[in-house]
Amino acid sequence: MAQYAAELDSVFVALGDPTRRGVVRRLGRGPTSVGDLAREFPMTLPSFMKHVRTLETSGLIHTVKAGRVRTCVLNRDRLALVDDWLAEQRGIWEGRTDRLASLLTEEDQP
Amino acid sequence: MTEPWGTVMTDPELDLTLDRVIRAPRAAVWRAWTDPARFERWWVPAPAVCRVDRLEVRPGGGFVTRFSEPGGVLAPHMDATFLVVDDQERIVFTNAVDSAWRPAAPEPVAMTAEITLADHPDGTDYRVVVRHGDPAARARHEKLGFADGWGTVTAQLAGVVE
Repeated sequence: MAQYAAELDSVFVALGDPTRRGVVRRLGRGPTSVGDLAREFPMTLPSFMKHVRTLETSGLIHTVKAGRVRTCVLNRDRLALVDDWLAEQRGIWEGRTDRLASLLTEEDQP
Repeated sequence: MTEPWGTVMTDPELDLTLDRVIRAPRAAVWRAWTDPARFERWWVPAPAVCRVDRLEVRPGGGFVTRFSEPGGVLAPHMDATFLVVDDQERIVFTNAVDSAWRPAAPEPVAMTAEITLADHPDGTDYRVVVRHGDPAARARHEKLGFADGWGTVTAQLAGVVE
């Protein structure tokens, strides 16, 4: 369960940036090479690659290398996590449990 | 006597379970659940404010809270009934029956929450099971979910999921 929460966290973090949301939106139209993607975003290639890696780590996208071309592909199942009503409820209850635990731990302090 | 964990049926499609060790004694966790002043401090995330109107932690007792965003007006939040209360062991409440014992159709979704406390060497073994209502309620929630919060993100990305 903790692992599931961590997965959700990384998806939310990945989507918390306009460039990365742009990439996700762009990939919604179909797989695209890193080179073509990078040209659509006003930043250096190394900066852009950082975003690609964050998206990859979150599982929102994966990349496939064919010859010298690396192509990014959207993982739609992963994006569906965000839409998940049950995940939202879980987030609410986890937040409550975190706050309850920290309140009680604070009270414990002299 | 509390039923052992795992013997009560849960449905992974509808239910959520949490299991946490809280580094405080059971009595302290119980107080945080049953004393309105303490309860208000953790039920909703700051800076939002929670006000307890009724926290009658006994079977059939009312559970009524209001909620406001910072600077906003207190609006109804929770209107529920406690079903089972085992002192310092278990609290079960549902929002499918309101505090006047009238069957309710709560938004975003009907649920029964079961909180179980047990002694643990490091404090309290704190377990939560929330059983949610039927798929129709889910569909309604999904629709609502699109109106705010993270639903907005997916709505903006709607082209993506078609």
